[in-house]
Amino acid sequence: MSDDIAYATIRELGTRYRKREISPVEVTRTLLERIEKLDPILHAFVTLTADRALEDARDAEVALRRGDESPLLGIPIAHKDIYLTRGIRTTGGSALFADWVPDEDSTVVRRWREAGTVMLGKLITHEFAFGIQFPGHKFPAARNPWNLDHIPGGSSSGSGAALAAGLVTGATGSDTGGSIRGPAAFCGLAGIKPTYGRASRAGVMTLSWTLDHTGPLARTVEDCAYLLQAMAGHDPADPASSTMPVGDYLAPLRRGVAGLRIGVPRNYFFEGVDTEIQRAFEEALETLRKLGAEVRDVRIPSMQRAHSFLLILVSEAFAYHERDLRERPELYGEVARERLLAGALVTASEYTQAQRIRAEICAETAEVMRDVDVLATPTTLKPATSFTVAHDPELGFPRSNMAPFNLTGLPTLALPCGFSSSGLPLSLQLAGRPFEEGTVLRVGHAYEKATAWHTRRPPV
Amino acid sequence: MADPNELTPNELTMDELRERIRVAGITVAEHRLAMVRRLLADALAPVRALDSRTIRTVEPAVKFVPEAKGDSRE
Repeated sequence: MSDDIAYATIRELGTRYRKREISPVEVTRTLLERIEKLDPILHAFVTLTADRALEDARDAEVALRRGDESPLLGIPIAHKDIYLTRGIRTTGGSALFADWVPDEDSTVVRRWREAGTVMLGKLITHEFAFGIQFPGHKFPAARNPWNLDHIPGGSSSGSGAALAAGLVTGATGSDTGGSIRGPAAFCGLAGIKPTYGRASRAGVMTLSWTLDHTGPLARTVEDCAYLLQAMAGHDPADPASSTMPVGDYLAPLRRGVAGLRIGVPRNYFFEGVDTEIQRAFEEALETLRKLGAEVRDVRIPSMQRAHSFLLILVSEAFAYHERDLRERPELYGEVARERLLAGALVTASEYTQAQRIRAEICAETAEVMRDVDVLATPTTLKPATSFTVAHDPELGFPRSNMAPFNLTGLPTLALPCGFSSSGLPLSLQLAGRPFEEGTVLRVGHAYEKATAWHTRRPPV
Repeated sequence: MADPNELTPNELTMDELRERIRVAGITVAEHRLAMVRRLLADALAPVRALDSRTIRTVEPAVKFVPEAKGDSRE
């Protein structure tokens, strides 16, 4: 088993394919063996598609011989199991859809397939991207490769675990309140939630219409740029999809950060932050300063009300699930069910007030971003929680540094910026102006090139 | 431990939670009531602390953009 294949970047794999040092079939077989060995411990995959992967890999070899230059040709990936896949079951992490086989691919699945990726399978998700699996759930919860007693984050939990363990090179995620960035933060990865409307949600199970985003996770910022490039773009099948032209996400990575202005919103995002995360964050700012960025403090007062996002989330989620919740509640996991039911308890007035607060947050954030290019915050307030804590029935829905950017719809990247004394990854969050994914990726890439956090491997 | 029914007016009491559940016509398992109350209370806190007369509206609910042809003035 070869770690240099398991942890290779997209660029490295592409280069070696084209030099004929290795082939997509060899890489696919190596990863399938690795999955067979490690997944019984990690539970990252809910469905393995070995035959399909080898077929994709053979197709990629033919295309490579033909001179096809797609950067994703032969790149091994897997999809979060709320992305519909034609002919392959899509469970949503729920007993409700345990045996459901869709007739269609989601738009993103189709776009990545057309780009030449090799699909290894489907990755476990928190139930309907919302309810963490308790013991006894239909599908076991994924475990964090950095410490198996800790959660890998959610809801794109399988995506985080699979990438950190070197089982795939790229993965899809979805992000309604941080479900791309949380697993990226807890598993030492990069993950980008693009601008609302930038990547299609068509064929992806809904959690909350006005907050849901799709996007990629990977082990480096550059890999995220490659994966997002193949994912982004208008899709008439998604009513929220933007017609804004897609920029080049790779070219800006070479530009560095000299002259860019980075704003640090000092209110809200640091309340209750873990001291090790605070220290790692301040050191990351210092690194960015040394690279030539101008770092300044800013304030977004209405952020103090950001937790009201949960009223929007649970109200919309209940609206989506109401019929199944009333007719077949026993098929939901207990925590997912009770959390979704909370949406029935929100009044119309409260939902509307939450949307008014959201409008205030959007307006104030836009005003601040007239003077800075990027906002920087810690991605999470704490490192990955243990399963013991996560399974505490009294645990609420923690206040989040990520949800504000679901409210505003701004492109937001999470990337590693250190490790705790107990060996768990810590993460930096960068948010940009609408459709300026290139700028966010540029800052993240410059930071990543100046540090080595992304090169550490978990002890699996 | 504080009695959840002796909270400030801005917080969600267990009695209010039970009344909301009754009105919504749903069933929440008794041993999950504390979790649901906490989730809802945390989310409601910013709204309950708000003077709804002073914040912005959510208009426009719809916005019409002319098709980009001819001499569009948008």
